[in-house]
Amino acid sequence: MAVKDKLKTDLFPTIWCPGCGIGLIMQQLATVMDELGLDKLNTVIVTGIGCTGRMGAYLNFESVYTLHGRTLPVAEAIKTVRPELHVIVVSGDGDLASIGGNHLLHSIRRNPNITVLCNNNEIYGLTGGQTGPTTPQGTSTISSPAGAAYSPINLQGVVNTNPNAYYAKTTVYHQGPMRKAIREAIEWPGFSFVDIASQCIENNGRRIGFSSANDMLQHYRTAYKPAPPGSTHLEPQQLGIVKGVPLPVAGE
Amino acid sequence: MTKRLVQGNEAVLRGAIRAGASYFCGYPISPSSEILAQASVYATTHPEFRFLQAEDEIASANAILGASLAGAKSFTATSGPGFSLMQEAIGYGHKVGIPCVIVNVMRVGPGTGMPTMPGQGDLNQTRYGSTGDYTSIVFYPSTVAECYEYTIHAFNAAEESRTPVIFLSDAFLGHLNEVADLDTIDVSVVPRTLEPLASGGTRLFSGVATYTDGEPATADADEFIRQYHESREHRVKVAERYAFYEYGWNKDAETLVIAFGITRRIAQPLAAHFALFRPIRIWPTLDKELTEIAARYKKIIVIEGSDGQYANVVERMLLRRVERVPLLGGRMSIEAIREGLAQIGMLPAESAPSGSESPARVG
Repeated sequence: MAVKDKLKTDLFPTIWCPGCGIGLIMQQLATVMDELGLDKLNTVIVTGIGCTGRMGAYLNFESVYTLHGRTLPVAEAIKTVRPELHVIVVSGDGDLASIGGNHLLHSIRRNPNITVLCNNNEIYGLTGGQTGPTTPQGTSTISSPAGAAYSPINLQGVVNTNPNAYYAKTTVYHQGPMRKAIREAIEWPGFSFVDIASQCIENNGRRIGFSSANDMLQHYRTAYKPAPPGSTHLEPQQLGIVKGVPLPVAGE
Repeated sequence: MTKRLVQGNEAVLRGAIRAGASYFCGYPISPSSEILAQASVYATTHPEFRFLQAEDEIASANAILGASLAGAKSFTATSGPGFSLMQEAIGYGHKVGIPCVIVNVMRVGPGTGMPTMPGQGDLNQTRYGSTGDYTSIVFYPSTVAECYEYTIHAFNAAEESRTPVIFLSDAFLGHLNEVADLDTIDVSVVPRTLEPLASGGTRLFSGVATYTDGEPATADADEFIRQYHESREHRVKVAERYAFYEYGWNKDAETLVIAFGITRRIAQPLAAHFALFRPIRIWPTLDKELTEIAARYKKIIVIEGSDGQYANVVERMLLRRVERVPLLGGRMSIEAIREGLAQIGMLPAESAPSGSESPARVG
């Protein structure tokens, strides 16, 4: 098998804008799927909607393209009924942390053995660039012309309310660490969450002063620094992994 | 198994189990909570039956859709406000084509309303609650034994139509205890119709308008219309196989009473004075059957626990005026019915003692 067998390349080019970060996540996910032997018989993809939600259509797997915000109850139920499957959720920050926020809180609490990849572009992209739950305070968007009023949600803090969960923060620039985090997350026995900073040049980046997607990637390169080894808490713009105590998962 | 007292809500759970349900997800809400509680008890001794009390009804409805896609016959139980929260997921289930059963034990709304009082005000919600056009199949029985029987039919219709089928009950019927021997009720069970996830294909179960190859079809009216009619025709055809209703009482009377669910039971003392039509399949409406029967009667009275939700449908269907006896605020009693009949000048001169208590049915 090869990485490209994990993708429906006949549907390419994708609908994503030139310079979008989502394809970089898909590339690493497909690579990890190939490394781990994930296939159509042992893996299901569950996506939210918006730009990120389209990934399910491009992965060569069976996929559920859920309602906005409802990935987690769907994914958890699939895992409950079919514990032998790898269930991978790919969703945006608005989907997971805002409209689906209550599911996120409770899914984390129940510690299902599922993997969540969060395309965190700090904006509602497909709808044109409105403030999201992860938009940094003060950022100008089309729904916050005077700057986003509130501080962003602390995803790491939310995930780590479960002492047995896996949380990783990475960016699409840091391909190696991102691949490692996706791999570890899929192998983690319990709830795992990979928080991936990712650029939306068209509906966010240009408005806040970036000239190109590459400009945003260079920003990730310089702004994000690895956390010191053994960190149990990541500062904003620190790259790293916070692992809880792995638990055997009920029913498996 | 011999005859014993069975509660309406318990009969629903037992019907679901008989139909092969193996996944329940719900959230506590009166007057449906016995189904949740008893499902949790059942799960402790039957590990193949999976149970989750979710964070809310939104999660419950989406979870049963996921469970169904994964291969389990699945269901949830709720009441009016919780059912409102499930509407988006119900529409998604219709769009994608996912079999499952949603039990709505009706109370008095809108809002939090009267949580422990019986109502029948969710008929419109079962038909029109979600966005867009879709074909709801909805059953509403009248007895505890029927709660068992029609729950099985609901699961069967869900499998055949590949939609979320709604099973209606009410606070009165759900909490009613009747002597029944459920094991003597024989309804054949339709096996699963949907190939479970991860069967080796690359299907995309999409709530977004999509071509069969997975490409978005979000601006293609022709494709939308083609898919819409294809699924609608299939679902209407399936519903025709479940055309359940009861026609009885005094068929020679001049007036036809239409009553369903618990209201039909409450109206029983009027049996000598009126003919009765009781729809058990609430949606799609029983147009052919009711049109034919209604033509024999000078007057029609709809007695229901809402302000005319079904009466409006009957008027539009028959293109003739119907009389209405709305039972509001949980006042679902024979006294309230007599009062309503008196207000419209339709109270029989002397209400004779009731006839047989057991509803008959056809279909």
